[in-house]
Amino acid sequence: MEPIVYVALGAALAAGIAGAASSFGVGIAGAAAAGAVAEDEKNFRNALVLQGLPMTQSIYGLITLFLIALVSGILGGSFRFAETTTDNLIKAAILLGAGLTVGLTGLSAIPQGIIASAGIGATAKNPKTFTQSIIFAAMAETMAIFGLVGALILIITGVGF
Amino acid sequence: MSTITVLMDTTLVVIFTWVAYKTGQILWKYTPYSYPNARIKAMEARLFNEQKLGELAESKTLNNFVMNLEDSDYKPYLGNLPSLRAETIDRALEASLADTYQLMLKILPKRTSAFFQLLLEEWDVRNISSVVKAKFKGEVARDYIHELGTLIGKVKAMAEAKTLEEILVILEGTEYEDPYQRLLLKEISLEEFETELYKKHYSKLLEYAHSRKAEEREILEEFVNLKIDKINLVTILRAKAHHLSADKIRSSLIPGGKMNRKLIETLLNVEDIEMALAELDSTEYSSILREVREKVMVDISAFERAFEKYIQQRMSELTKFYPLSIATPISYILQKEWEIRRLKAIAKLIEDGLKPEVIKKIIGEQL
Repeated sequence: MEPIVYVALGAALAAGIAGAASSFGVGIAGAAAAGAVAEDEKNFRNALVLQGLPMTQSIYGLITLFLIALVSGILGGSFRFAETTTDNLIKAAILLGAGLTVGLTGLSAIPQGIIASAGIGATAKNPKTFTQSIIFAAMAETMAIFGLVGALILIITGVGF
Repeated sequence: MSTITVLMDTTLVVIFTWVAYKTGQILWKYTPYSYPNARIKAMEARLFNEQKLGELAESKTLNNFVMNLEDSDYKPYLGNLPSLRAETIDRALEASLADTYQLMLKILPKRTSAFFQLLLEEWDVRNISSVVKAKFKGEVARDYIHELGTLIGKVKAMAEAKTLEEILVILEGTEYEDPYQRLLLKEISLEEFETELYKKHYSKLLEYAHSRKAEEREILEEFVNLKIDKINLVTILRAKAHHLSADKIRSSLIPGGKMNRKLIETLLNVEDIEMALAELDSTEYSSILREVREKVMVDISAFERAFEKYIQQRMSELTKFYPLSIATPISYILQKEWEIRRLKAIAKLIEDGLKPEVIKKIIGEQL
């Protein structure tokens, strides 16, 4: 395959997988939020905060997409790895790896949605557990942050601006 | 170069296949419980605590009792009572429980809502068994009916039936027809008829539990087996209190449960109730006995209540392990049934003119 395919795949998978995972996560938590609010409107504020947590992975995906597009020259009009040389292919593979790292770690949005969903239930029963529920759900975020940091290292040291 | 690209392409295919499979599995498992379980947790927050039950026990009159329930989920059911009696309050509370079951059937995922249909059928078994017993003894059957179940119309018709044969016509086409026919032909006794209904029902519950997968199966099997153990142990203890033979008790036991055959045989063959309780001390049910041992010697229903509380606690534990599972609705329905039973008891005790302190004491003992 041409280097452009790997670069484009890397950018697309970073934003695509993380975005899809976020939508699933927000969807799961959103269903729980609807259930909690159906019984008591007072649950709205807490449920909304918890429901929003799985959205961050899609932001990491978007940041990675922009970075890949920027370093490869897609954003700017002149693609840097147009020729199919070994060096270009390796750099394109690094960008694909960076995109995949963010995309796959972005899948943590799904379990985060599940944790947030259980947290919404727990908060609906006992509002005092709101902070703890946020902390539990935020733990799943760590993997996505690791993924983003790893991708940044790959892009900066492996390809560079 | 071609080696690099082949390696990368293969890695991509493997990773994506695995990710897609795992993601699909997680989504299938948890997503359907997201809405119902959060809603049920919110409903759990409205269950009465001890303080509220204490306030209700201090109502002094049924009018105050109903007024104290005005800010609760029971308001719509108590608003238009035909008369202010414990019996009408009973019916209103049962209507509320029936609606809770219906809500569970509506909001739970299809793959498990059928279990609640089966739990609702347990009320049919109770009703049919009570009505038939009342009819055979010449008592007023209507008084024994709970306004719950899938066959409530037929049950009411049975209670109004003029002859025992008429009941057979009403039960025609249902799974209860055959045992009732054998009862009429005197092939089985009234006790055997009741046991047969429960055996049929619990075999259906077990079959359903076995048909599930992973944690759903674990939770349902635990729940059904605990229920079977409760019935079997209560049967054994009652039989021991009446000095019945092991053979006679054996035929009344429901197949299944967590107790192994050896333990059951030992329990069946011990001399008296005290020795049966001693045998239970070395089982996982020893914690149930710890607090009610003295009471059980005079009133076996104390053991039954303690066991029901144990099942509730066990389901509550499973809810903590599996927040997005069927454990949450099961735990809720058990708590709701428990609450309604206590509300009914308070209403009856108020109607009987007992003092609030006495009512509190009786209700407290039922914990």
